[in-house]
Amino acid sequence: MAIKIEKSFQAPEPAADVWKILSDPRSVASCVPGAQVTEAVDEKTYRGVIKVKLGPTLTDYKGQAHIERLDDQNREIEIVGKGQDVRGKGSASMKMTGKVRELPAGGSEVITISELNVVGILAQMGNRMIQEVANQMFEQFTKNLRQRLQQQASGAVGSGPPEEVKPIDAGSVAVSAVRGLFKSKPKE
Amino acid sequence: MTTKRAVDITVKVNGKEHSAAVEPRLLLVHFIREHLALTGTHIGCDTTNCGACTVLLDGRAVKSCTLFTVQADGRELRTIEGVGNSSALHPLQEGFKEKHGLQCGFCTPGMIMSACALLEKKPHPTEEDIRWGISGNLCRCTGYQNIVKAVQYAAEKMSASASQA
Amino acid sequence: MLAKTSPEIGGMGHPIKRKEDLRFIQGKGNYIDDVQLPGMIYGHMVRSPYAHARITAIRTEEAKKLPGVLAVITGEDLAKANLAWMPTLFHDKQMVLATGKVLFQSQEVAFVVAEDRYTAADAADLVEIDYEELPVLIDPHKSQDSDAPILREDREEKSNLIFHWEVGDRAATDQAMKSAPVTAKVNAFFPRCHPAPLETCGCVIDFNSATGKLTAWITSQAPHAHRTVFALVAGLPEQNIRVISPDIGGGFGNKVPVYPGYVCAAVAALTVGRPVKWIETRSENLQSTGFARDYHMEAELAADKEGRLKALRVKTLADHGAFNAAAQPTKFPAGLFSICTGSYDFSSAFCEVDGVYTNKAPGGIAYRCSFRVTEAAYLIERAMDVLAQELKLDPVELRRKNFIPPEKFPYSSPLGWSYDSGNYQGALDLALERIGYNDLRKEQAEKRERGELMGIGISSFTEIVGAGPSHTFDILGLKMFDSAELRVHPTGKAIMRMGTKSQGQGHETTYAQIVAQELGIPAADVAIEEGDTDTAPYGLGTYASRSTPTSGAAAALAARKVREKARKIAAHLLEVSEEDLEWEPGKFSVKGAPGKSKTIQEIAFAAYTNFPQGMEPGLEAVHYYDPPNLTFPFGTYIAVVDIDKGTGEVKVRRFVAVDDCGNIINPMIVEGQVHGGLTEGLAIAFMQEISYDESGNIQGGTFMDYLVPTAVETPHWETGHTCTPSPHHPFGAKGVGESPNVGSPAAFVNAVVDALSHLGVKHIDMPLSPWKIWQILKDKGVTQ
Repeated sequence: MAIKIEKSFQAPEPAADVWKILSDPRSVASCVPGAQVTEAVDEKTYRGVIKVKLGPTLTDYKGQAHIERLDDQNREIEIVGKGQDVRGKGSASMKMTGKVRELPAGGSEVITISELNVVGILAQMGNRMIQEVANQMFEQFTKNLRQRLQQQASGAVGSGPPEEVKPIDAGSVAVSAVRGLFKSKPKE
Repeated sequence: MTTKRAVDITVKVNGKEHSAAVEPRLLLVHFIREHLALTGTHIGCDTTNCGACTVLLDGRAVKSCTLFTVQADGRELRTIEGVGNSSALHPLQEGFKEKHGLQCGFCTPGMIMSACALLEKKPHPTEEDIRWGISGNLCRCTGYQNIVKAVQYAAEKMSASASQA
Repeated sequence: MLAKTSPEIGGMGHPIKRKEDLRFIQGKGNYIDDVQLPGMIYGHMVRSPYAHARITAIRTEEAKKLPGVLAVITGEDLAKANLAWMPTLFHDKQMVLATGKVLFQSQEVAFVVAEDRYTAADAADLVEIDYEELPVLIDPHKSQDSDAPILREDREEKSNLIFHWEVGDRAATDQAMKSAPVTAKVNAFFPRCHPAPLETCGCVIDFNSATGKLTAWITSQAPHAHRTVFALVAGLPEQNIRVISPDIGGGFGNKVPVYPGYVCAAVAALTVGRPVKWIETRSENLQSTGFARDYHMEAELAADKEGRLKALRVKTLADHGAFNAAAQPTKFPAGLFSICTGSYDFSSAFCEVDGVYTNKAPGGIAYRCSFRVTEAAYLIERAMDVLAQELKLDPVELRRKNFIPPEKFPYSSPLGWSYDSGNYQGALDLALERIGYNDLRKEQAEKRERGELMGIGISSFTEIVGAGPSHTFDILGLKMFDSAELRVHPTGKAIMRMGTKSQGQGHETTYAQIVAQELGIPAADVAIEEGDTDTAPYGLGTYASRSTPTSGAAAALAARKVREKARKIAAHLLEVSEEDLEWEPGKFSVKGAPGKSKTIQEIAFAAYTNFPQGMEPGLEAVHYYDPPNLTFPFGTYIAVVDIDKGTGEVKVRRFVAVDDCGNIINPMIVEGQVHGGLTEGLAIAFMQEISYDESGNIQGGTFMDYLVPTAVETPHWETGHTCTPSPHHPFGAKGVGESPNVGSPAAFVNAVVDALSHLGVKHIDMPLSPWKIWQILKDKGVTQ
């Protein structure tokens, strides 16, 4: 099940500060809900885990992310990741392109384009559930990233990992998925 | 991994009180079928779509597969076993037989319970009322046409005896 | 032809109320999940999330540690007992539990057994499996590509092609196509759907080590066949296996195959030494058990300019999923699909089918369609409408011109079938009259002027059921006869046991009515039993509308044997010779002396108390019936639809179903069957599909997405009948349970295409969802 997600948000901090976080996989991972980097294989390859809970189904994905492209000048990063559920409930792979640009009036904009492919139990829930999970994860990611930016600005960054980032709560995903059904959205 | 705590509950089922200690996550339909050995209530799906598990909880038609037993604590439950029997069939049961409203019989108890609740609210339902009233109950065998006739039979019989009372 | 019995006796034709209803309306049916045995434990299946992957490790320690877990069985464990694979009903084999690799999402990988079902489910979650994903094959059209992954490593031939089957005269047909003035072609896909009976599949298996007897309660439409397969696969002596199919909550073909769950439960019962219950969930049912259809079909018709048909050429790609678990008679890998010449007289025809493997659930079972007849009927009825559109002929006229005329029966079709009887014009005429066809066409013309979309769809289908004669039919070698064993008690009541197994078709009533008809014993006095292999005579079960044609015939013939013996006893009681007696349902009377008679009840009593010297006491008979031919029910269905231009929703305004199933046993039961089958056809035409995305994830794997019509979507069905008895059946009956599912999809699709034909639409594949129709409307610029 392939899903394309395009998200962007704006932050008051200058592009350079945002890029500092976005270009460091460990920092990015620390903002993804339920994720943890466990090992750096080399400077471009990282191993990690991410917990995704949907209803009664808890999937522990264990996988690897690789920085395909890192363009400091244009502030663009492309990461490809793939993980498998440790108990054998499925797998997921993702290609994400992140770009930071300076806004003319000050502050910056982060644009991410992700292609997500899910196989297994979660995929059976259908397109709308996965879209909702991804939406929720991105919203949480954005919140966490903003928090990090503020910490960085106030000089609190580097003082250890941020507080434990919890996996997405199933209840809220289910509710918003159901709400989504009643919005006029064309089906693929 | 899961500690099995038991919660004490008391439920009145078909007029009789039952007390038990159950796991919080025990579904009501399993309690009815296994603990109470009332197997007339059936399980037909796992997404709350089919209605084969329909029972009356405090008079309201509910899907017992989507309730925990602990939610029925202190309340009254009515299952198909409490509707009628061979010596005294409920007009709905009679209607299903007279009008050929069943084939494999698996959806029938749930249908009858939903129809019971419907007739309680609407003693003179139109065909549309009936179709909406049983729209939470799936049937694969009958195409619903004779089920509608069965409910109409019961509605007529019940209102006739009500007016005689 | 058939003597009319009184309503008290209730023979053929009487709409008597069903005897089995009493227990069902009280919730006292005995379905598999109702079976409770002392010490019973529960099984839960661990399933693959991947459509195609190698299993590199399975870790069961955590699961085994959970208190209450008694066993965790894997493919490796089964392999030690040579049970990791089992034969399918079509000469292929299927993994019971995966070894080496998995081939479809939801495939069975491990079986957990625990004290209660909640613990079993918890433990299943703790089983850890490492998979290495492999490339997935989902599109059957790509299965023969050079870079297609080869799915079945266990087969000698490394190919995804299962079979190639052809029938007919290719050369003559090709020639006819080339030289025909008019040809029409249609590519019609019959989507994968699922019978989804309301009760899912399951079993309770109990092995008594003290007696060596294995008792298996199974949701089985063919208990004897299951017993024999068990005996052969498990190496257990057949006399020590008892299969009991008690009440079954709907089958529709879904409960014909032997599923891995049954085998795992049996193994668990044997190893743990306690009765094991395994009941699948609805999701498991939809995702792993016998699906239906998934036929990619192409039909070409050749005709002259007036619309007189010359030839039919058909090419089909059959998607069987990971294993060919289709339940088909051995000689027919594509079932009875070659009935695709339908109700029409073709001079030549050719049909070829290629079956392939894909990474999807296995099967291709007969879903209320007598072995692929739905696919065939759908194809020819759609093709006829496409040709009618091409020739600018009314679809009714095109059909009339080409029906096999009554005088041509028995008719030999160019694809090898001998149709026993038919009167297609009769059914069509009645249907047209009932629906008011001419007025509807006028209405449609008026509505078109105003831009309103209304359509009329016709399906004049021919069925082929009642498999079947032993010279041509067998399943896994077992010939497809069926049986009835009738015993009359001293007090004139009777019991009859059959080799079939009802899942709601009303056998406890209809079979009794056959005895009532033949012997005059009231149907109420005849007990009918099916489903216990220890007591029932051997039969091949109920599916493919075969019960009335086979077991029903056996019942009539057994009853006639009883009647012949009764005649001898009557002659003895009345002290006359047998030739002096005449029979009416219920008694023998002396010719010319009507006062001198003996009722069947008196005769029954005498069979035990006062029988002629030298005669064997008792009054019973058993008959195994090998049908001389199949039977050919037929009919015409007409659907009237209106399309909402704003939403694309199709409303079925009216539906008339005229069926001809020969002589009818119980008209009330037949009507119920037709209602049910039409509703299933409606679902398939408009709302159901099981599909897979490119990674092999199943879409439509729960009732949230696989839609079953409720009472609100289901329209009002109007039924009618013509009667063309089967000339070879003992009481002229044909069987009808499946006709409505066979004939209706084409009627619905023809109606919708008819509503849009003036916009240039020639064909739309099912399901005709509102979204799909709306997109066509948008494309044609007519949305509101």
